[in-house]
Amino acid sequence: MSGSGAESINRSRGVDWALKGYILLAYLFVFAPIAASFVFSFNSDRFPSIPLGSFSLEWYEAVAADPLVWQGLRNTLVVGVVVGVISTLLGFGAAYTDYRYKFAGKQVYLALALLPPTIPVIILGLAMLAYLSRINLSGNALSVIIAHVVVCAPFAMAIIRLRLSQMDPALEPAAWNLGASEWKTMRHVIVPFTKPAILGALFITMAVSFDEFAVAWFVSGLNETLPVKVLGFLQGQVSPRINAIGTFVFVLSMTLVILAQLLLSGKGANDRAPADDKE
Amino acid sequence: MQRDTLVSFEGVVKRFGSFVAVQKMDFEIRKGEFLAIMGSSGCGKTTTLRMLAGLEAPSEGVIRLSGKPINDLPTWSRDTPMVWQSLALFPFLNVRENVEFALKMRGIGKVERRRRAEQWLDRMQITEFADRNIAQLSGGQRQRVALARSLVVEPEILLLDEPLSALDAALKVRMQSVLKTLQRETGITFVYVTHSQSEAFSMADRVVIMSRGVIEQIGTPQEIYRAPRTRFVADFLGSSNLFSGRVRPGAAGGVELETPAGALKLGGDGVMPADGTTATVTVLDTKTHLSVTPPARSVNVVPVRVVGEEFVGATATVYLETPQGQEIRVQKGHDELADLPLGIGQDLFAWWEPKDGHLVAEA
Amino acid sequence: MRRPVSLYGLTFSLPLLIWQLLFFVFPLLFLVALSFWTVKNFVMSPDFDTVNWTTMYGRAVFWQAYGATFALAAGAAALTSILAFPCAYAIAFKLSDTARRWAVFLMVIPFFTSYLVRVYSWQIFLSDNGIINVMLGWIGLGPYPLLNTVGATMVGYLTLSFPLVVLLQLFSLVFIDRTLIEAAHNMRCGRVRTVFEVVIPSARVGLVIAALFAFILSFGDFVSPIYLGGGDPTTLSILITDTTKSGQQWPRAAVIALTMIGTLMVVAFAAVQFAYKGKTK
Repeated sequence: MSGSGAESINRSRGVDWALKGYILLAYLFVFAPIAASFVFSFNSDRFPSIPLGSFSLEWYEAVAADPLVWQGLRNTLVVGVVVGVISTLLGFGAAYTDYRYKFAGKQVYLALALLPPTIPVIILGLAMLAYLSRINLSGNALSVIIAHVVVCAPFAMAIIRLRLSQMDPALEPAAWNLGASEWKTMRHVIVPFTKPAILGALFITMAVSFDEFAVAWFVSGLNETLPVKVLGFLQGQVSPRINAIGTFVFVLSMTLVILAQLLLSGKGANDRAPADDKE
Repeated sequence: MQRDTLVSFEGVVKRFGSFVAVQKMDFEIRKGEFLAIMGSSGCGKTTTLRMLAGLEAPSEGVIRLSGKPINDLPTWSRDTPMVWQSLALFPFLNVRENVEFALKMRGIGKVERRRRAEQWLDRMQITEFADRNIAQLSGGQRQRVALARSLVVEPEILLLDEPLSALDAALKVRMQSVLKTLQRETGITFVYVTHSQSEAFSMADRVVIMSRGVIEQIGTPQEIYRAPRTRFVADFLGSSNLFSGRVRPGAAGGVELETPAGALKLGGDGVMPADGTTATVTVLDTKTHLSVTPPARSVNVVPVRVVGEEFVGATATVYLETPQGQEIRVQKGHDELADLPLGIGQDLFAWWEPKDGHLVAEA
Repeated sequence: MRRPVSLYGLTFSLPLLIWQLLFFVFPLLFLVALSFWTVKNFVMSPDFDTVNWTTMYGRAVFWQAYGATFALAAGAAALTSILAFPCAYAIAFKLSDTARRWAVFLMVIPFFTSYLVRVYSWQIFLSDNGIINVMLGWIGLGPYPLLNTVGATMVGYLTLSFPLVVLLQLFSLVFIDRTLIEAAHNMRCGRVRTVFEVVIPSARVGLVIAALFAFILSFGDFVSPIYLGGGDPTTLSILITDTTKSGQQWPRAAVIALTMIGTLMVVAFAAVQFAYKGKTK
């Protein structure tokens, strides 16, 4: 498009550079803790600061030697995978419902589908623990799964709904018109079209579950997930191990997110390639 | 430079990367005229307007406003209000606030602002909508708000970028007369960018026709219509028949064009091209005549065959083909064609007076 | 229209509805019931007694915590919005399309790093022997007590909501019709003035919603006030954890939680009203 030409008269180089410098500062602030956590996970000092001590894997070793951490990791992975699958299934259903149907009370339905992440986790955790212990579901991995699905399903729904909104609304009726039943259309048209978003939602919800600690802390009882373990370390001041676990979980989460990103943008971009071609 | 020149483009070039949007443009806009810049999309007409408004900077050349170069003047320091194709009305302000905006930016006090806005709301007959949101207005009403918003500062020049393109046909015609009247009454110079020939020709005092970043012709609508200067203009207007051929001395004096359709005599006006060169002549479809037998003065007669006809209102257009396969159009009133057999496949003769043929510049 | 109720349709719409009713709405409703239960000898029993409400609302500690939490969250929302805006603005208007895509991608990364780990990391920066004090020491300053201050809590809140606020603001800024900005320039509106006269009003809904999210996140957060702010001032979230830990006082914690939800609903409602209404100012 145009615009580039207006820069020379309607823009000030100084202001532009100052703003770009500000962007850098902002990203510095955002990434400072992430980078520090990474760097200090390989640092030998017990009380991390600068100048850096020697390179060391002792925190990774300490973490690896802790059977509770391994158990936490196993819990995290199991919970994460199950949460991802259930959230994605529920989210898909809700997204499709929103895409296709108009009905009385739809606003309420959508509110239920999207509100949970806006309720502070501490309140959610409290309510969940009180409620689940009442129906004898608290204190185990199942309770963490239940609670996490409540929080994760809305993310899955949002991601899949976005993909559905890119679909030509005539596709589904066209399939019916060609003799496909609703179920067959779902299987052969809707699901294939939304597949990248479905996988994306799966990975994103897993990643969200991996990092969620507050609700899990409340409801997990003895079946602690890894983030809950981190919370324990934070309380116990046995600190640099947090960096090791943090770095490990970060790498795991980012792998999932990048996978999701590739699926969402790669596939999506291909479908719309002709439209992107402006010239 | 003439005394009544308001804007001049002097050797203006605009490049976007390697794409040249406007090439070496030289022309002037006169004080108080209604100038239309016309061309198909991508011809550089909007870029020209945006350079004048300061939304794009020329890559080369000088643009002068009232004699002063304005190349380096930011948009907000120029008095070149514009009406956008999208109208660009502020959706978060109501009608009155939109109209007052430019006055507010000039630091004009509340009372005065209100008074002047009131005047223009009244003049554009939108006073009753003053407190409405933009979203509540119809297309025609929005158009009036946009005009009022730009004109409230009573500028010397108003730029309009296809402002009517979103309206339906009937409303378009109404707004055209509103614009024309407004321009005549205020005496403000209007620069109107459009791709529509009917809009340009019905409103403008002068028309600039552009193609691929080049000005093809500048002139009054009559001049351009009667004598398109280039083959592009003739094609673009679509109302002329074109014949190309080699120039040679005429049998009965003067100059002739040797074309596949036969020898065509050239008319009087303009400089005659040199012998042996290639030239193209245009003849308006309304100046092209048909008859069953060759006319007595057998100059510029071409045998043709009817391939189709079309009736729009009181006029009819007959489509014909020469034996060489060239298409010829003839446009007449119904009564003028009443005596002719116009069935498809009918053989006829097409002819015109040499004075109605105009030479165009060869590209 | 199509018939809305069919086995096919219900198969897709019901599961989420049931799940969220069972595990989202019911727990919250249960919290309401719980707030009327009584606790005797560390044992809760179902009841309908307003004693928890009157006890909590009668305590100065509660209202202090309430005031502090509200002020902190409001401050965090304002601070985050103000700091995020130039960043979102610059990303929206000063970067190329490619650079903007990268900027968005990078801003998403923090969502997938543990907030706990980042807060711990800030301890490394802010503690008495931490990175910042060491660096200040090089130029002969400090050490200053940075950790366990309200400032440190704010750093935590910023860590929590800055990326989200930037993204939400950015989202509303990139959808501004550029011709509106051109039109403003065209009518003598200078650069800075255009930001306040056109850009901010155009992006108003997004900016308000972003601030609202910063408020919600900060209002409910218990990690930053404890691990960066040192638990002082006591916030409602700290009060909830303390109350649950001390002798089965769940019903009282429920009172606090419900008060928080009520507050958030009022704030959210007011914010949405403010965002959408009064387009004529």
